[in-house]
Amino acid sequence: MAWVAKPSATEQIERRDEPYLTQEMCDQLSRDILPRYETKMGALLPTLHMVQHAHGWIAAQALEEIADFLDLAPAEVLDSASFYEEYWLKPKGKHLIAVCRSIACEICSHAEVTEACRKRLNIGVGETTEDGKFTLIELECIGACGGAPAALVDETLHENVTPQRIVELIDQARDHDAL
Amino acid sequence: MAYTPKTNFPILTKRIPTRPWGDERQRHIVRYDEYVETGGYVGLRKALSMAPGDVTEVVKEAQLRGRGGAGFPAGLKWTFLPKIEDVNSPGPRYLAVNADESEPGTFKDRLLMDFDPHLMLEGIAICCYACRIDKAYIYIRGEYHHQAQVVEEALLEAYHHGVFGGAGLMNGSDTATGAPWKVECYLHRGAGAYICGEETALLESLEGKRGWPRVKPPFPAVQGLFGKPTIINNVETLAHLPSIIENGVEWFTAQGTESTIGGPPSYGTKLMGLSGHVNRPGVYECDLGIPLRTFVEEYGAGMRGGKKFKGAIAGGISTGVLGPDQYEAELDFDIGRKYNVLGLGTACPTIFDEETDMVAVARNISRFFKHESCGQCTPCREGSGWLFQLLSRIESGEARTKDLDLALEIATGMGAMPGTTICGLADGNNWAIRTIMNKYWGEFEARVQPTFVPVTMSVGAAANG
Repeated sequence: MAWVAKPSATEQIERRDEPYLTQEMCDQLSRDILPRYETKMGALLPTLHMVQHAHGWIAAQALEEIADFLDLAPAEVLDSASFYEEYWLKPKGKHLIAVCRSIACEICSHAEVTEACRKRLNIGVGETTEDGKFTLIELECIGACGGAPAALVDETLHENVTPQRIVELIDQARDHDAL
Repeated sequence: MAYTPKTNFPILTKRIPTRPWGDERQRHIVRYDEYVETGGYVGLRKALSMAPGDVTEVVKEAQLRGRGGAGFPAGLKWTFLPKIEDVNSPGPRYLAVNADESEPGTFKDRLLMDFDPHLMLEGIAICCYACRIDKAYIYIRGEYHHQAQVVEEALLEAYHHGVFGGAGLMNGSDTATGAPWKVECYLHRGAGAYICGEETALLESLEGKRGWPRVKPPFPAVQGLFGKPTIINNVETLAHLPSIIENGVEWFTAQGTESTIGGPPSYGTKLMGLSGHVNRPGVYECDLGIPLRTFVEEYGAGMRGGKKFKGAIAGGISTGVLGPDQYEAELDFDIGRKYNVLGLGTACPTIFDEETDMVAVARNISRFFKHESCGQCTPCREGSGWLFQLLSRIESGEARTKDLDLALEIATGMGAMPGTTICGLADGNNWAIRTIMNKYWGEFEARVQPTFVPVTMSVGAAANG
């Protein structure tokens, strides 16, 4: 739920010396993205996307760096970042398996697909494997109702997924890492 | 009465092979060169030879109704923009293209962005010319990774060939002031929030804020993105523009259907996405007014496993369901008034066969709305949560008869528009659950235990004493 408040104020922020928002990223944003919007805050979503793409998630320190870069209060950045489901404010696995659970997928037995993932990865929905390789989630509609049940493996959409197929995809991702 | 389609050629799917005109296996991304070879950007060139006001007039006369769900006439929406001559200091004007397709059941715009992105870009350019817009933002949903990439590449091509940008076809085209004028078009990726498909929430999100719908008025046409006049149109609405400008009003109004109940007409073809228990789900282009039965049986190759039709979501879950006796419903903008659903929505029906558990369907839908409620208005935030809890209880068989009434009361009362909530999300939740409960009441009743009402009364000697 987008609107559940998080106790961010009391949390200890882990810090590291190396910035999440690198100079290179700042340069690219200043050159390509900032001129597109009338306010600096307009570039917030693209900036969050960029940081997440680079690191897999958005650390609290990164939120502060972004705030600094866009002349915003850290709270404003957190406000937006925590609203959108796609931004990970906690580390996630290297690979994200997202099974669609909305109506068309549910009536076309998405539950079997999720179950196959759970068994293969030995984790529940919303959890990450101990080796940090996989995170399993269920999402609301991913816009592939014609190919239900559907799942996103990282950024690739797979339609008409069977339990066998999703296990194959998980194994492929694991094998690919091992290379 | 047998249904005969009025339009025997593809329009939006001209370059995307789709049944019955093409083989879906031949689908591929249409690049700029192929797009131009197959008659692309002719509509834009024609538009540029006309006065901007005349382009708007054509779209208005064609009565092109918005394809994003509400069915509001696009041309009329454009006329709400302040006239350029009336503005003392003409600041930027914006177009926000709504590609945040996120309602369960809806996957039609994806087809255009997957294979023929230039059709959308041409529509954007025409709209920008007609409304004298300076910047267009394509707000694409975060989950559409591949589509974002396709559109981004198409945008580069469009810039390269002068559709947008400083060397644009439209660069320096006549403006009232004669000042230089060019159109920029950018892609902006959302991040997984259904509510950002609501037009004012979309603007908030473009501004980098959380996607909370704004109180209207002021309407976006007057005070929209960054406080400037803004038009918001759906991808498919814009994709209709090139062919309307090229072929004229009469050509367009010959497609689709007149209203049978004296309302505004439903002209044109529509991309309709079919999902659920059918043999051949997918996106098809049909005339508005096609009966649901024809759509399922001819395009969708009938019900899966030869089972019986039990019901259908009219078009995106917020519109509510069509019951077993409404299989003949015509898919046009009259559907709401004629068949007691919210409206046509995006015309993407999800079909249920006879074995579907409608209580589970209601629970799934209420979970979606609970999950996607932005939390700004209390009736929606709280009501959607309660409704989900109640429906889960009913599904698990632990509920009592009075829970049915309570669920219906919440479904009817929460966010009844207009007035109790800012946007229509709660209203969508309300319609979906209310129509399912009313049309399948027996199924809900069979799942609950009768309410035991203890009555105390004194009898015999005690009563007399």
